[in-house]
Amino acid sequence: MKKLTVKEFYNSNREEFSLTLITKPETLENFITNQYIHRPGLALTGYFERFSFERVQVLGETEISYLQSLKDEELYDRFKELFVFNIPCFIVAKGLSVPEQMEFLANDMNIAILVSKLSTDRLYHSLRKYLEDVFAPTKTIHGTLIDVFGVGILLTGKSGIGKSECALDLVERSHRLITDDVVKIILRDDVLIGTSTNDYGHFMEIRGVGLVDIEKMFGIQAVRLQKRIDVQVELMPWQDNLDYERIGLGDNYVDILDVKIPIIYLPISPGKNVSVIIEVVAMNHILKVYGYDAAEIYTKRLQEDIQKKARIRSALIDDKE
Amino acid sequence: MIKKTIKVINKLGMHARPATMIVKAAAKYRSEFKIRKDDMEINGKSIMGVMTLAAECGSTLELIADGVDEEYLIEEIAGLFSSKFDED
Repeated sequence: MKKLTVKEFYNSNREEFSLTLITKPETLENFITNQYIHRPGLALTGYFERFSFERVQVLGETEISYLQSLKDEELYDRFKELFVFNIPCFIVAKGLSVPEQMEFLANDMNIAILVSKLSTDRLYHSLRKYLEDVFAPTKTIHGTLIDVFGVGILLTGKSGIGKSECALDLVERSHRLITDDVVKIILRDDVLIGTSTNDYGHFMEIRGVGLVDIEKMFGIQAVRLQKRIDVQVELMPWQDNLDYERIGLGDNYVDILDVKIPIIYLPISPGKNVSVIIEVVAMNHILKVYGYDAAEIYTKRLQEDIQKKARIRSALIDDKE
Repeated sequence: MIKKTIKVINKLGMHARPATMIVKAAAKYRSEFKIRKDDMEINGKSIMGVMTLAAECGSTLELIADGVDEEYLIEEIAGLFSSKFDED
């Protein structure tokens, strides 16, 4: 299970969420263990049943004004109870100031209070998005990700089969490279998003040449940072007895992080222009998304033709006049 | 070279699935393989060719194989037709 310390969160998001720490720095040692956020309205009133204390607690104007309405002793007792729970941290929105007792007890119990200048709604959504990303299931795959006509194509296959060369050819045909060799896949809202594992830039290794910088060579138009993965294309050496897809009626699927995407097993042999085929794969995918399945249309027409002929044949046979 | 005349007996005729079965079976052999229907002769190892025949139930086809393993090829393909491509 992934863990994020409040310190890591604070240090990497101080600017984005315009955060300030009002408790002592030692309070930053707690762990954030899940992606959810909680607004502890009822817990503040003293109702602790089903209190999601393990989540990041966000306080907005409502919570703060409620706390301010409490008497000093009441407030002190409430927080005494509240801080018994293993809360990772509090984030206060709109730059609101918290009651002194709360700050004092938080220091005492080692629970960080961060104040953000963002509005509660903004904070809530940005925080949610950030935490979702941090805790999203991820996977790294050996392959190359390229955007072909807006379709994210994940090229896979054995080392040396020509994934990079194929990607290079596609880049030259004005398609965009996301990353070569290692693709980091993040599951975001049931969609697979592929990015690079590092931010060194868009480099690629071409056998016999070495490293080349795609962005420097082909310009900014030839690269992009991330892309939804739509289709996987597995390049494989031609084998005589293997069953390759001939018509395309039954699609093959592959499971990546529990998301099913179509996979195409593409046999390659010397002299075969793989990049043109990849372009065709992308365009065919777009057509299918728009509801046009060439294989289906063709076979339907064929079937109609066969049936028509069969009807004529039986009519001729049955005609005994 | 050997030839064999067969009849399409499955109800749906030679639609996409049977055509795929024929092509995949034929591809395993080294012999050349042609299918003739009326005045049309096509390469039996080409999916588009086989589908172009649009052979309906009751139509007659001629299988033509030429090569070292022609007999086995014809035997397997004819078997597919007589087993109605596992349909009906």
